[in-house]
Amino acid sequence: MSTTMKSNTQLFMDGILKENPIFKLALSMCPAVGISTSVMNGILLGTAVLFVQVFSSCTISLIRNYIHPKIRIPTYTLTIATWVTVIDLVLAAYVPAAYKAMGMFVRLIVAFAIITMRLEMFACREPLGKSFWDGLGMGLGFMFAMIVLGAVRELLGSGMLLGYDVLGFKPLLFFVLPSAGFFVVGLMMAFFNWIEVAYNRKKGV
Amino acid sequence: MKEIVKITFALTLSCVIAASAMGLTFTVTAKAKKHNHLMSVQNAMMDLLGFGEDHPAPSDLTFHNVYRYIVKDGGKKFLGYMVPVEKAGKEVYEMVMIDLEGKFVEKLEVPISEGQAEEAHDRASALEKVLPPNQFFTYADASAVATAGGERLGYVLPGKFPGFRTFIHVLVAMDPQFELLGLEIMEHEEDAGLGAEIEQEYFKNQFKRKSFEILKGLEVVKKPMPQEYKKYLEKSKWVEGMFTEEQISEIRKQYKASDIHAITAATISSKAVTDGVKNIAKKFAYRIGKLDGVLEEQDIHAAF
Repeated sequence: MSTTMKSNTQLFMDGILKENPIFKLALSMCPAVGISTSVMNGILLGTAVLFVQVFSSCTISLIRNYIHPKIRIPTYTLTIATWVTVIDLVLAAYVPAAYKAMGMFVRLIVAFAIITMRLEMFACREPLGKSFWDGLGMGLGFMFAMIVLGAVRELLGSGMLLGYDVLGFKPLLFFVLPSAGFFVVGLMMAFFNWIEVAYNRKKGV
Repeated sequence: MKEIVKITFALTLSCVIAASAMGLTFTVTAKAKKHNHLMSVQNAMMDLLGFGEDHPAPSDLTFHNVYRYIVKDGGKKFLGYMVPVEKAGKEVYEMVMIDLEGKFVEKLEVPISEGQAEEAHDRASALEKVLPPNQFFTYADASAVATAGGERLGYVLPGKFPGFRTFIHVLVAMDPQFELLGLEIMEHEEDAGLGAEIEQEYFKNQFKRKSFEILKGLEVVKKPMPQEYKKYLEKSKWVEGMFTEEQISEIRKQYKASDIHAITAATISSKAVTDGVKNIAKKFAYRIGKLDGVLEEQDIHAAF
């Protein structure tokens, strides 16, 4: 009962490039603007979102025939909240080093638009296999976007990359502030659109 | 009507399933999580006191926890300290009640072992059994006294105070003369690149070795930090032969009484930590002074 014609690999690649959640779909701008202050933040949050997205997509896809249409959104929210809690507790118990770094971010994921949107647009209609690849693609697309944003802001804001002093001085501390997040996200969106246009032109589309 | 019933049922069922999943995960992981937390606190405590791989702790190093409670009796307020006491070779806890001026009121034995006393819930039930029903107690804080070879090595105090965003949780270590041995930032939600720099060595280590007198009047200055001082503070980045013994003691002497250099664009966070540490140190020094006085006067053999 699948309504999409795309193959699994196409779904996966689209999530990262053609339908990148932050640069193309403009979803989950809150973390993109507020938390993308360093590459490490991007990696940590990206991994957490990836797990939550994949698990939530799979769960909703499995129960999609039993969800009452009028309480779709509460069901999505409950699923996401449950998975976020489970991941938070499991990290705290078995991977304390990661928990110390990520703990603060994991709890925020419940409010992200990208996951709820993906469940509503895709997972509640598509079978398990397709939902898994879509979730994986979207999660990785999010992580990729956060890492790129984090790299730009960390390098220009504090002269560091992944905590290592690359430049030795802080070019423009402004880039670490939330207002700069808006600027950088907007500029990156324009940049990626430009790349896409140039690529399509080259391909003769 | 039937729709509403269906919806209510479906929602309730979903909530129940979600709650069971979360509850199950919690029960399975709770023990491991607590253990990890305790280990990280223990490691931080050892590190603060100056022990590590190249400076191992003495084998008889023990931490004795003193729990402070506020006890209300009618209109009167007392401070109740749960102190580990040596009695006939065993360690038991005694609740030593002191009034707000520091005078001894009474002492009661609390039937609880040191391991059990670490659980707030067990402490509360043990205290309920011992205190008369008209006295209400509230937990205030815990401090750890480190001893080795019958001598006090130092104190490790957890503390919490408001930062720029939310609260900052710290661990402060002092030696028996209340000189600050070290400061560790345990939890915070400050901004990355700004307030979060309080975790960096060049900020934290400024507090090391400040004597109690200097600590009491410590302020924050918005002056750029001299490069040499910064290199000295970032101990983990030292290379062989970077500083001679002479240079180290020179730098130490020069900056011993200096105020704390604020983090660029994070003055509020820097001030919050400085004031927070000052308060923790001053309050503890006052309280332990009063407690020691009472313990000596009443001839109570504390385990420290």
